[in-house]
Amino acid sequence: MRRDVFQAIADPIRRDIIDLLADAPRTVNEVADRFDVSRPAISKHIKILTECGLVQMMQKGRERHCVIIPQELSRVSQWVSQHRPLWEQKLDTFEAYLKEIKSKTNNDESDK
Amino acid sequence: MNQTSDIERRTLTLNRLFDAPRDLVWAAWTESEHIAHWWGPAGMKTKIKKHDFTEGGEWEYTLQMPNGQDFISYGTYSKITPRERIETTANFIPMTEGVTLIALFEDDGDQTAFTFKVIHPTEAYCKQQEEMGFYNGWGSVFEGLNTYLGTI
Repeated sequence: MRRDVFQAIADPIRRDIIDLLADAPRTVNEVADRFDVSRPAISKHIKILTECGLVQMMQKGRERHCVIIPQELSRVSQWVSQHRPLWEQKLDTFEAYLKEIKSKTNNDESDK
Repeated sequence: MNQTSDIERRTLTLNRLFDAPRDLVWAAWTESEHIAHWWGPAGMKTKIKKHDFTEGGEWEYTLQMPNGQDFISYGTYSKITPRERIETTANFIPMTEGVTLIALFEDDGDQTAFTFKVIHPTEAYCKQQEEMGFYNGWGSVFEGLNTYLGTI
């Protein structure tokens, strides 16, 4: 199964885990303590996050920490901004039309 | 936890200052006879299939593309504050589904400050990502249309 950042952020718990890890690296247990869901469920979410390339496991002494890889997240804002030209275009058309009806209204008034 | 940053990441915000009074901008944005003139790319007429401008009311506009295909947009108004704010769900077939659009209108002297937000759903990202090839294809349809309009 192909995984990417969009799948990572599709789940609200995973989004919260991302926010938590963005703050500081944490062990799986430390992450699990913050949620009302079971530890295996948290492990599964973290596994998906690592498969999506958003989180990496790093050995630190005897503990394994989950560390966020922020570069991957920027792909989300990139994707959103791809839609910008289409909307800008729509607003351009709206603005042009507005100008047209505005001058029409003004002409009507001056005719009176 | 931090819900705001998540929504911000998924939101596209556009700001415009329209050189027209708010009443006129509001009318042009919300009345079907006006929408038909600007919803589509310049010079193209939009067919208004449904336009029930009330909370819970549905809208559906279609646009015939030069290749004969219909470009359909539809949604349901979720919140309307007259002359101030409109919130609606929106789907653009075949392009983007399940987005929320928010339009805000404010006076700025004789002009109108307009804010437009497009909030994308996270679930759709995955799907959209897979369909990106298709989306790019749709973008070229728009380009082709603009070129076509330039010639008539």
